[in-house]
Amino acid sequence: MLPRLTSLLILVALCTVPLAVRADGSDDLVNQIIPLLSHPDREFRAAALEKVRTAAKGTAATQTFAAQLPKLDPSAQAALITALGDRGDVAARPAVLEQLGSSDEAVRAAALAALGEIGTPADLPQLAKALTSGSDAEKQAARKALIRMGDPAVVKAIAADSKTASPQLRAKLIEVLATRRATGELDAIIAATMDDDGGVRTAAMNALGQIGTPDRLAAMLPGVLKADRGRERDNAERNVAEVCKRISNEDERGEALIAALDTIDAARRDELMPLVGRVGGRRLIKFVADIATGDDASRRAFGVDALGKWPDASPADTLLEIADKTTDASERRHAFLAYVKVCAIRDRRNDQQRLERMKQAMKEARTSEEKLAVLNRTRTAYDVEAMRFVRPYLDQPEFCQMACETIVELAHHRQIRDPNKAEFDAVLDQVIKLSKDEEVVERANRYKRGETWQRGRR
Amino acid sequence: MLDQAFEPLKKYDYGTPISELQGIEDAVVAAHDDAALRQDLEQHLIASLESDISRDAKDYVCRKLAQVGSPAAVPTLSKLVSTENAHLARHALERIPGPEAAAVLTTAAVELTGKLKIGAIASVGARGEASGVATLAGLLKDGDPAVARSAAMSLGLIGGVEAAAALQPALQAGSGDKSLVIDALLECAESLLRSGQTAEAKAIYASLAGDQQPRLVRLAATRGLLACGAQAEA
Repeated sequence: MLPRLTSLLILVALCTVPLAVRADGSDDLVNQIIPLLSHPDREFRAAALEKVRTAAKGTAATQTFAAQLPKLDPSAQAALITALGDRGDVAARPAVLEQLGSSDEAVRAAALAALGEIGTPADLPQLAKALTSGSDAEKQAARKALIRMGDPAVVKAIAADSKTASPQLRAKLIEVLATRRATGELDAIIAATMDDDGGVRTAAMNALGQIGTPDRLAAMLPGVLKADRGRERDNAERNVAEVCKRISNEDERGEALIAALDTIDAARRDELMPLVGRVGGRRLIKFVADIATGDDASRRAFGVDALGKWPDASPADTLLEIADKTTDASERRHAFLAYVKVCAIRDRRNDQQRLERMKQAMKEARTSEEKLAVLNRTRTAYDVEAMRFVRPYLDQPEFCQMACETIVELAHHRQIRDPNKAEFDAVLDQVIKLSKDEEVVERANRYKRGETWQRGRR
Repeated sequence: MLDQAFEPLKKYDYGTPISELQGIEDAVVAAHDDAALRQDLEQHLIASLESDISRDAKDYVCRKLAQVGSPAAVPTLSKLVSTENAHLARHALERIPGPEAAAVLTTAAVELTGKLKIGAIASVGARGEASGVATLAGLLKDGDPAVARSAAMSLGLIGGVEAAAALQPALQAGSGDKSLVIDALLECAESLLRSGQTAEAKAIYASLAGDQQPRLVRLAATRGLLACGAQAEA
């Protein structure tokens, strides 16, 4: 090793080379970083921003960096704001807040996002405002910030706002609570399921689907009843069913739901049967079957509806029995269509078992509508035998179009089409000849050519 | 017992299953915490290297000496640095501790020619010892550009102030491709930064941050300068 003096001489020699970064007293890190923040080359800026994030510790340095914001162009401003956010020093907050008034959308969005790291509960009003009235980028940034803010008081404040703000904002704040997994605010979310605004109710139910706990099942059910029938009610049922699934034992799950149902006014309890159907399971099937086969016709309808929403084919025999025994045509239709639906569910049974059920259903079908339903649902049995079962119906004008559609759906599956290509080609030729639907014909032609996914021009 | 383990080596050649030499492999493992066995094993390996065994067998022995060799093996290995076993001999010499092995490689770097010379220069760099800097500095001026490039790379591997000082004149010199010299200088600066010699590292980075340098060099130098600043602050 050379002596230290030699090293220093070498150092002096090296320093005679022209320098890009001055070492004339302004060589501390902060002063190295500052000129690079406005460097025309983004990679040089990135090198400096990395140090803003991780080095030059201390409030004074943070304030010095933040003071550069007004001197930079918008692109550099946005990058520096993001870096200041990542730096996590609240000393940058006043300068970042000022940038919320920038005329540049990217700068405003960066400032909103940075508040997620260095903001305080006092910034919630501005974030809430951006959440509903900003551009898409600002909305996204504000949402990200509300999700990221670490102060525990923030969750309480968001929950409080979720009760009083405008409906649009309430819905968004509830989404934020769910993403934050704010399980301490379930009461506020459950209360929102009874809101007068459908958007708020839906957001609350979605939130419960994400973070709701089974011990609150009873409190969630009024929200299902409050939901408008149709899409909102379906969504509410699905989310409560998700909460039920958090009980891993099937019987315990059923007991928990029955206990929750007991808390609901008997007059409205039957309306929740579809939810029971979505949850499914041995314990609940008996509960629903008793209702579906009882003496009260209006209750039976709820029961049949529930059995038709079962997640597997276990209520199939019960539904067929109801369809067989009833003398009411409407009830027969309702039960039989539900029967065909559950028979076709792609559950743990194999395709042959599923097809056998469909063949049995066809034997039991009495009307054209029932037969069409069977032909339609047979497409869920991915087996060449399903195609052979449907093929004869091509010759019956009444069922021809439905048979064409089902055959094309079956032909979509390469694993049954390719090993039986000659047979499928022949039946697809029939479909091409018989179908009145252009899309069906186009698909049949594609499958004949072995093109499963290439879409033709319409 | 070792005699028996070495017996298959006499017939070992390309295509012989390595399992034939399992006795030697086991001895290498056992020698890890048995100094006497290690010495005995090394003597057997040296003796094998000096006997009439195949090229592949000698390569194998060199590999084992890289694991258990000491300065005692250097004289025998030095005879191989200009032979067909040169690569594996240098492999062993790069790893054997002590100035003897370093001296053999340094001499080879000066005296050999062609690819063997370039290989020896690379081995001097791989040892990473400052004692090689003076020799490599001389080779930087070699008329063969491949030799000069190899010397620059090795100086970068050695790193430190002396290596940087040796490289600096090559950077200032008139024509030719400077990219390897710059790479080597950057490596020197990084090694200095790692060892806490921030001022020295910073001087090198600063010398490469000027506008006359290509963009990527300036970028690397700028990052280095910022790293120096961050380290000085810590």
